[in-house]
Amino acid sequence: MSNPWNITLDAVAPGMKLEDISYGPLSRDDIKRYAEASGDDNPIHQDEAYAKRSGAPTVFAMGMLPAGYLAHAVSDWFGGPQHLRRFKVRFTTRVWPGDQIVCRGTVNEVEGNTIKVSLEALRKGAGPEGLDLPKEEQALKGEADIELPE
Amino acid sequence: MVEKEIEFALPVTEDRVRAFADAVGEDNQILLDGEAAQRAGLPNILAPPTFTVTQIFEVPREERERRLGANLNYERVLHGEQEFIYKRLPVAGENLAGVMRIAKDFTKEGKRGGTMRFVTYETVFTDEEGAEVLTALYTLIETSKDASS
Repeated sequence: MSNPWNITLDAVAPGMKLEDISYGPLSRDDIKRYAEASGDDNPIHQDEAYAKRSGAPTVFAMGMLPAGYLAHAVSDWFGGPQHLRRFKVRFTTRVWPGDQIVCRGTVNEVEGNTIKVSLEALRKGAGPEGLDLPKEEQALKGEADIELPE
Repeated sequence: MVEKEIEFALPVTEDRVRAFADAVGEDNQILLDGEAAQRAGLPNILAPPTFTVTQIFEVPREERERRLGANLNYERVLHGEQEFIYKRLPVAGENLAGVMRIAKDFTKEGKRGGTMRFVTYETVFTDEEGAEVLTALYTLIETSKDASS
């Protein structure tokens, strides 16, 4: 849980690190709820047998679910989603049931009213048995532009 | 016949907005509670930043493939990137007009051998007055047979 911060433009400077916001651990119900709300009904995210036939050890989250958390985090850091002007993510590894999603951000540039931020979401967890994943690794890399009032 | 673009309507209903906000763990009340949104000077609850992915309800993958003809093999397709460029966020109760097209389609060598094809679908959303609301860029990566095995 988190709340929008009250932040003003003059309090933002390049190099500023935003406080980590953590979501999860992700459950299969979270994946199902996102599938229903988003329309992404790809069975690879919900149907164990289908995921296995596709070569995955089990189901995994659609990338847009942790991306949704990351958008939520960046919205909260800068006073609400209405200030977002751009949000971009690249998916670097899969997110599994049981993973926690840790959202991180750093201010890169402030140009007039626009703040440019680099973003990262880590997956933290054991991962599926047999995959021997790192306990913590980058799952999404992103960037955002935020416009704050003077 | 392959078409250049797909036009569709995206209804931003309160139910869809709340369900989506709930699914991404939103607790900011301007996305959930109409009165809180009005207290913040908004006409109604705002849609979360990634909400327009719900366009898949209006234009399912099969239809997108058939009409725009990217000819992707979905057994080897990953969602590589996603970008949104906002003028503003959608507001519950409005009906957006979307125009989707293939903005980029190129191939490059993969790090582990084989080629990777990048296809970017661009959707521009406008409001009932015809003003641009946001643009969504959805990039799929099709790996070559060698790389995915």
